[in-house]
Amino acid sequence: MQRRDFLKLSALALSVTSGMPGFLARAATVAGGDKILVVIQLTGGNDGLNTLVPFSNSAYYAARPTIAIPKKDVLNLTADLGMHPALRPLSKLWDDGELAWIESVGYPNPNRSHFASMAIWHTADPTQAQREGWIGRIAEKIGDPFCASNLDRQPVKALRTDTMILPTIDDLDTFALTLPKGVEDAYAALLNIKRDGEVAFVEKAVRQMAQNTAKVQANIKKYKAGVTYPQGRFPEQLKDIARLIASGTGQRVLYTSLGGFDTHAGQRAEQDELLTVLANSLVAFRADLEAQGLADKVVVMAFSEFGRRVAENDSAGTDHGQGGVMFTLGKAVKGGVHGESPDLENLADGDVRYKQDFRGVYAEALDKWLGLSSADILGGKFGGPAWIAG
Amino acid sequence: MTLSPYRPRTFSLEDAAHLLRRAAFGATAALTREFAALGPQKAVERLLNFDTTELPDNPFDPAEGVNGGAAVRLAQMRWLHELMYSPHPLREKLALTWSNHFVIGVDKVRQAGMLKGYMRVLREHGLSKFERLTLEVSKTPAMLLYLDNNQNKKGKPNENFSRELLELFTTGIGHYTEEDVKEGARAFTGWAFRGLLGLNNPAQTAVPEFVFQSNQHDRGRKTYLGQSGNLTGEDVIRIATHHPATADFVGRKLWRAFVSDTPSDAGVRELVQLWNDTDGDLRAILTALLTSETFYAPENRHAIIKSPVEYVVGTVRALGQPKLKDEKRYTQVVQQMAKMGQALLGPPTVEGWKGGRDWISDTALLTRMQTAASFALGSTLSKDVKAADLPLALLGRERAPFEAALRGLGVPQQAYLTLISPEYALA
Repeated sequence: MQRRDFLKLSALALSVTSGMPGFLARAATVAGGDKILVVIQLTGGNDGLNTLVPFSNSAYYAARPTIAIPKKDVLNLTADLGMHPALRPLSKLWDDGELAWIESVGYPNPNRSHFASMAIWHTADPTQAQREGWIGRIAEKIGDPFCASNLDRQPVKALRTDTMILPTIDDLDTFALTLPKGVEDAYAALLNIKRDGEVAFVEKAVRQMAQNTAKVQANIKKYKAGVTYPQGRFPEQLKDIARLIASGTGQRVLYTSLGGFDTHAGQRAEQDELLTVLANSLVAFRADLEAQGLADKVVVMAFSEFGRRVAENDSAGTDHGQGGVMFTLGKAVKGGVHGESPDLENLADGDVRYKQDFRGVYAEALDKWLGLSSADILGGKFGGPAWIAG
Repeated sequence: MTLSPYRPRTFSLEDAAHLLRRAAFGATAALTREFAALGPQKAVERLLNFDTTELPDNPFDPAEGVNGGAAVRLAQMRWLHELMYSPHPLREKLALTWSNHFVIGVDKVRQAGMLKGYMRVLREHGLSKFERLTLEVSKTPAMLLYLDNNQNKKGKPNENFSRELLELFTTGIGHYTEEDVKEGARAFTGWAFRGLLGLNNPAQTAVPEFVFQSNQHDRGRKTYLGQSGNLTGEDVIRIATHHPATADFVGRKLWRAFVSDTPSDAGVRELVQLWNDTDGDLRAILTALLTSETFYAPENRHAIIKSPVEYVVGTVRALGQPKLKDEKRYTQVVQQMAKMGQALLGPPTVEGWKGGRDWISDTALLTRMQTAASFALGSTLSKDVKAADLPLALLGRERAPFEAALRGLGVPQQAYLTLISPEYALA
């Protein structure tokens, strides 16, 4: 972008923010902190048992004659547990003590609906009474809609709030407001009429977008690629996250998703492919952060809405289940396996019983990493493993 | 009475524009004037009176795709063409609405014949009885494949379709048990299709057909939503579509698609009553909705955030249906809609698009601006478009609320700024 054009855009951003509520004005000053949490959503219900494999458990092999990961292929982590072979790229992080697995994670009265379950993880509210997402509530707490962004096409409920519109960024390169010559003043005037109701919501979103894009474009050139990422949408999203972090745009939470985990049929081929993409992308992201000198500032936390049924179905796939595994990685992470392994002899309706409330895992990220009160954001105290080191 | 018929002294231009924006994606000022002369009942009759033939000059045929990916792109372009130019916009709006209810996705369904068959059912049965629509969609190879019902065999159940039938297509969550899901899956055993060849096979154009494999069907006794017997898939669909919760759940979706994003409980109660009286007759239900007092109530006008497809198709229709330059431009428009969050035939998940405020994000707003520029400022804009007609055609108002800001600008600039105004984001 030409400097002259950028000045125009900044001017537009300023002119359209004149009517902004006070919280935006004070946002930059209170955002604070330089630790960043990257949240990765594995959409569709990732099969935890074939991700962190209980390879010493004969019940696992009995339940999955076709799709179990053969013992010889498992990447052993402990005497009983090992990773899916597609996760081999993560082995070094494990060896360095920077990869943590958290077992049997779920919530009370589990729900096998993708959507209801995802909404529970997004709102951190199993009763689903909350309209706002848990990351949206972080933004409310900090008072800055730019403190969290979603790198994807569509907004996710985790970043929803009643009063702010948090950025959803599909592609940083095109994340720029450009108006054709000669209409800037007219557009600013058009935005400045009085509006009520839903149209006022859209107007506010436009003003926020103008601010967000101006901020990103002002900073984004500071990033120099540190590594080559694999081809594909998910690695691109992670790369954009690295670019935002390296540019110092100031987000505290960055969110992205990898979809396709709803493996009802032919699970091995589908999940193997997805875990390969996941592992290769994460390793590239990590190496990029290293190259930028930012690896100690970032922690990754990955979740899925539920695990899958223990027994395979007859389509060489698995149906919707309950408890699943989460993982976190980063220099600040206390590596290892946390929590209690699923008891495959004592299932809930054929599913892994949850033993760790997911909000306890969130709480550790909030209290120990982001330095925010988890009790405020989650609406109560939740216990969980100490997966942040120190 | 919320669904009592709308009987204004005069059916104004803005009334007609409101109907056309909701039921026909939008229209030129000239067509709006024609509709205003008809009055509310006849205007709706005219919209509902459609056949299911696609345009003879539609240049795209998924069957010409050399592989699955090409078939998908051609299916999307073919649909875009109908959305923009079909003389039956309500048929297409209904197909779009039902494609967001009975969801399939081209991430998995990548075969020309399956996509054609699915679209045909949406067009043919969009105004049938709800049970019939559900049954017909459920038997499309597209749905059988998408939700793995073709893998559902006697003694080897696959619950995917059975679960979504209840959760997403009929009763909604909270009205069934896990046992109902399992029993439903047993009833659907044996449903399959034949005629699918390899996705890269040149003969992939064959339209696969539903087939009932009786040797794979579980004939045993089942209990489903409180009813027992040797239930078949058809029985299960009849029971699920007639469950009392279904009228409420599906009625709310229709309300959200056509009336407002926040259905009133009183309105939905009346809709449920009508649903029960007509055995879920979608034509009767839609007629009632579109001719009701509630539909025209001031609080329900300019109240629904347009989906990307509504945004793009509405722009083309309101600007007098200019022809897109070439095939590349179609591809571009399909991609722009995807970037705004709505890939035709490719909802993010089986739940479909949630709509409403979820359509608004920074990326979506930026893409809307680029799309607006390509239609208003490029060579697409017809010389016949007059500045004086823009507010009615684009905003459904006789005067733009930001009229003063546009003073002195040329027609393309006025069209562009109107298209990127917050007002234009709402139908």
